[in-house]
Amino acid sequence: MIEIKKVDNRPLNLLERLYIWEIFKGFLVTSGHFFRNLFNPKGLITVQYPEVKRPLEYAAKRRTRHRLKVRADGSPKCVACFLCATACPANCIHIEAAEYQANPVEKYPAVFDVDLARCVVCGMCVEACPEDAIAMDTEEIPGGALKREEMYLTREKLFRNLPGEPSLKGAANRLAQGGKGIGRG
Amino acid sequence: MEKFKPVISLLNLDLLLFTAITAVKIGFLLGAVMGFTAFLTWVERKLSSLMQDRVGPNRASIFGFTLLGLFHPIADGIKLMMKEDFVPARADKVLFTLAPVLTLVPVLAAFAVIPFGNYVDVMGLRVELVIARFPLGLLYALAVSGFAIYGTFLAGWSSKSNFALLGALRGAAQMISYEVVLGLTLIGLLMIYGTADLQQIVREQGKLLFGFIPAWGVVYQFPAFILFLAAAIAENKRTPFDVVEGESEIIGYFMEYSSMRFAVFMFAEFIEIILISMLAVTLFLGGWQVPFLEEAGFLFPGGLALPVHPYLTALAQMGAFAAKTAFMCWALMTLRWTVPRFRFDQVMKLAWQGILPLSLLNILITGLALTLI
Repeated sequence: MIEIKKVDNRPLNLLERLYIWEIFKGFLVTSGHFFRNLFNPKGLITVQYPEVKRPLEYAAKRRTRHRLKVRADGSPKCVACFLCATACPANCIHIEAAEYQANPVEKYPAVFDVDLARCVVCGMCVEACPEDAIAMDTEEIPGGALKREEMYLTREKLFRNLPGEPSLKGAANRLAQGGKGIGRG
Repeated sequence: MEKFKPVISLLNLDLLLFTAITAVKIGFLLGAVMGFTAFLTWVERKLSSLMQDRVGPNRASIFGFTLLGLFHPIADGIKLMMKEDFVPARADKVLFTLAPVLTLVPVLAAFAVIPFGNYVDVMGLRVELVIARFPLGLLYALAVSGFAIYGTFLAGWSSKSNFALLGALRGAAQMISYEVVLGLTLIGLLMIYGTADLQQIVREQGKLLFGFIPAWGVVYQFPAFILFLAAAIAENKRTPFDVVEGESEIIGYFMEYSSMRFAVFMFAEFIEIILISMLAVTLFLGGWQVPFLEEAGFLFPGGLALPVHPYLTALAQMGAFAAKTAFMCWALMTLRWTVPRFRFDQVMKLAWQGILPLSLLNILITGLALTLI
């Protein structure tokens, strides 16, 4: 619904142009807030952030720290296609690909680093991923480290499954299990 | 007024006693003011946060105790001391060092004439609770606080930075304009009390009007009180008159200052808040006067008398002065976080076309009233 606010553009009257009475009214507003909050601090809207966390709302959950999904056998879901690194506007993803010995079809990331210090939390990597391997739904807000190294996520720090994962029905799990059902045709 | 004998020899016992008593008074007032200044830096942050529905500083802790963030002034002090003491390469080193000193000293010197109590009799000796009492006390306070302009201007000039220099120019224009106006707003009061001795002015305010209204300056001269506050806040260079500094974007005359040199400017600003509050209290809000508290004790309009010990009276009066000063500081700070900043031409217009004619009108009306009554 569109709200229309009508602005009162009438010229100021003498009392308002003198400014003193208007300052006094503003003074009452601010000191009213002051005393209300002084004697009843429950009205304060500040959250003591690291200790108290407000649940993230709606899409904000999908713009948090990255994770790489893992299959049932423990191998990464990522196939090192470099699409996320290509899509990344901040160039914060570094991938080095390697091949499975037994499986000539797919690759895996030998190195998969995300530099959170450069990441702009745009979510382009998640959108680009064809394998649904990278996600940003850990609900951990990046930042607040004492050293740069702490902001640099390597493969091991990124591997994580949320409860209910991995799904054993997916095609990707069959791929990792020795390529059954693959390469026939 | 007591007259001191001319000094003949340095071993004059009167002189030694006078020096000792004055030293004690200076130590007491300076300690109180300095402590209150550190407290005010915390109050400003906490007060602004509370009136904006925030919590404000509450993290600095010693052994896990935060005491509502009261350790933040200490943390600020330690941090400022550990910052690099930077002097621009082309700056005038002597003036650059002198400028913060010239900002702080006049503000502190003005406290000498502020009466913070009536008097106490210590072992048969009457001690006036004011550091230096002399007939032109008010003029001294105005003259000394006018010296602060040198600190402002030298800071901008000596750092050889164009932005700092522009800030200093704004500061000089504003401070000189409001210095003129500040004096004029008080003339009506001087006409009524007939003295510029601040202690005497406060004693005059102990009288009662119509038998029950305390004859404070604000009762006689309410318009002058408003004008004085406006001019004093402008002299203090705080919002709504903070175009000189403009901390959120332009940054004024102390742009090149860092570390404790910067802290001195900041500290001087907060001390000046206390000075303005004390002056306003002394001149308009009855100074150390507690309503109906005479020298012998309480004397209420209905004829009810309540004797009070002289020491208790002195304590109550000093407490009243402190409470009134704290209230004025609170009011000034609330005002600073309520009102938006004026444009620079509006600041100048307010001084020369607003406060100046109004204070002249006030003098005229006061003069007429004094002649007719």
